[in-house]
Amino acid sequence: MLGFNSIQAHIFYLAQEATAATDATGGADFYTFANQLLNGVGIVGVLLLTGLGLAITFGVMRIINLAHGEFIMLGAYVTFLMQSLFQMDLLLTIPFAFLGTALIGALTELTVIRRLYGRPLETLLATWGLSIVIQGVVKLIFSAQLKYVKSPPYISGNLSVITGQDGTPLVSISYYRMFIIAVALLMLGITLYLLYQTPLGRQVRAVAQNREMAKCLGVNTSLIDLLTFAYGCGLAGIAGAVISSLKSVSPPMGQDYLVDAWMVVVTGGVDKLIGVLAGSFLIGEANAAIAFMLNDPVARVIVLAAVIVLIRYRPEGLFTVQKRA
Amino acid sequence: MADSRSPLVRFGRIGRRKFIKYGSLAVGAGVLSACTRGGGETTTSSATGTGSASSGDAIKVGVMYSTTGTIAIVEKSLQDATFLAIEQINQGTGPWQGKQGVAGKQIEMVVVNPDSNWDLYNQMSKRLIDEDQVSCVLGCYTSASRKSVLPVFEEKDAILYYPVYYEGNECSSNVFYTGAAPNQQITDSIPYCYENFGPKGFFIGSDYIYPKESNRIAKAELENQGGQVVGDEYAALGTTEFITIINKIKQAKPDFVLSNLVGDSIPAFYRQFKDAGITPDQIPIMAYPTTEEEIQAMGPEYAEGHYSSFNYFQTVDTPENKAFVEQFKAKFGDNRVTNGVMEAAYLQTFFMAQAMEQVLEAGEEITTATLREATRGQEFNAPQGKVKIDPDNYHTYLYSRIGRWQADGQAEIVFATPSAVKPIPWSQALYKGRLCVHPAPDDRSDPTEETGNDLPVEYLES
Repeated sequence: MLGFNSIQAHIFYLAQEATAATDATGGADFYTFANQLLNGVGIVGVLLLTGLGLAITFGVMRIINLAHGEFIMLGAYVTFLMQSLFQMDLLLTIPFAFLGTALIGALTELTVIRRLYGRPLETLLATWGLSIVIQGVVKLIFSAQLKYVKSPPYISGNLSVITGQDGTPLVSISYYRMFIIAVALLMLGITLYLLYQTPLGRQVRAVAQNREMAKCLGVNTSLIDLLTFAYGCGLAGIAGAVISSLKSVSPPMGQDYLVDAWMVVVTGGVDKLIGVLAGSFLIGEANAAIAFMLNDPVARVIVLAAVIVLIRYRPEGLFTVQKRA
Repeated sequence: MADSRSPLVRFGRIGRRKFIKYGSLAVGAGVLSACTRGGGETTTSSATGTGSASSGDAIKVGVMYSTTGTIAIVEKSLQDATFLAIEQINQGTGPWQGKQGVAGKQIEMVVVNPDSNWDLYNQMSKRLIDEDQVSCVLGCYTSASRKSVLPVFEEKDAILYYPVYYEGNECSSNVFYTGAAPNQQITDSIPYCYENFGPKGFFIGSDYIYPKESNRIAKAELENQGGQVVGDEYAALGTTEFITIINKIKQAKPDFVLSNLVGDSIPAFYRQFKDAGITPDQIPIMAYPTTEEEIQAMGPEYAEGHYSSFNYFQTVDTPENKAFVEQFKAKFGDNRVTNGVMEAAYLQTFFMAQAMEQVLEAGEEITTATLREATRGQEFNAPQGKVKIDPDNYHTYLYSRIGRWQADGQAEIVFATPSAVKPIPWSQALYKGRLCVHPAPDDRSDPTEETGNDLPVEYLES
């Protein structure tokens, strides 16, 4: 009880500190809050993009992939490499980031994951080890220094949604954030199409639902596993490429996204891809709103705690159809 | 049917032998990776440069910087600068021209990697002192790591050379501080902001001891000037999402932002600041931890027009600096830049070598007591200009400079003191008149002195 009280007191203290700061600024008005909610959409874009790959590897394949963050990092490094070798535009590097990380993902599937199907604990350990290996290798090749990725110059500036009387933008969002959201939604759309409208997607779903039966019906399950995992990793690579120019590129960067991606996938539920969209929207906006009222570190604590409570009462996530046992 | 999905069935089919085989593979992967990461066990001992150090005759020096983990980005470059200095001392090049080694002895480095983990700094410093029996240690970057090793150095009475600007309010008989004290960085930059940008400041920082203390001192300084802090926000170490903080900055409409963000948060913040449509003309950023290195990583176009306050910039115009930049690039590559913390890591190695030389030439043994007395008052023509260890408080006389970032990623120096400023470890805005004077010879008694008066600004005579 004592411990709980002291945590509560600590949160209260942090909240006090934050309110004092907001008071000094003259209080929050409507436009700033609207701006913050719109900015939250910017966070949603990043979350959706980073969570999508995990929704494939965990949601469809049930592989607990703790190296997901490192595949995002690899995507960012492919972009960096393409830019420094060939002075390529960021948009042009996206396919390379996809192919590069998908290739490494395929190698991982062949050498590690394949041998551990159906053993979640070992997979967890192996992918965790893998994440450290990838970080170490990248550090050896590229050194620990932060890397510079050039953003596309034609996607800059802000879109004003509401403009004040004197022409100053009151509620605005940057074009690059919108670009991230667009890419995320596009990738979600492509994934949905592949999964539900193509013969390949039908096979993927069949393997996910009943591997033995699918095998009996002549599906090459090991090939499907390979392709699905590589595709999930490729999506992570695209995320890395796109966010690299807005954030920092360094070997440990993936760790930051891993936790967020997991929160998104777990909250949204793993059975329906659309759950990722819902999960990232909920977490992104909750984060933005709480961070605005209190501050960033507190918002993270509250959102994480909320996700833990959610998992306790709805372990299958918010958007899962009730299944018969 | 449902059973065929259960992992247990597959598990059962894999024989015991296979289970052991694959299980050990997984564990092996984990162990292998833990080693790659540094995990506390990567101690490499190496004599650099000529490598001809005859083992019995070499002077052992500990070098403790993280080359893995979140802080590695910065600490690796400090380690590089230290390696360069020790190579020059052992080979007799650079500032050590005409000599070879320290009074004929080579310096042997014992390099440890604490993996950006504060507890490991503590353990590794114990190990350096007890097992490797080094004469002194060069190392640490964050205040958290310094606070973690301080009790070790004090208890075992060993010496640490610490090369980083820090929040002050500390004065140990076992640490030589060669980075800026608050009065060499904050005390000049806050009045500069007040006069050139305006009275309203928005303070941000990473969420740990240095940014919070540093911002507390800066707040006191700004309020002394008649200014006001209109916002105070912290982000967890390693955060790269700044959309909320930037929105709060927009709302508060400050005249300037004071940034004490560190590490990989820096490029992310500057990029998103510009991406949100705020120009340096509207709200300039004054920063302490933002150096040439981070500017290079974010791309100079994002920093152009913003400011940093530091003792050293790569553009400082001295012959020593020209040589330093040239030698550094020759050793580590043409695309590398030098910055203030690296310069401090470089110059403190020479302070150490000069002190050791003095001890040996006087025919004495290098012990903590002799090294400490010899280091007090050492002078060195560093890249930033002539600097000196203050014999009273073990901090360093350093230049105070403010640079405005240019399109090429280098700083135009817009403010500089005429010569090195005497360090005052205690922030005078918070602790008026508090001084630190170690007795000579140092008996490790409490060095704090309360004068209650305003302390005059003193400069090093050049």
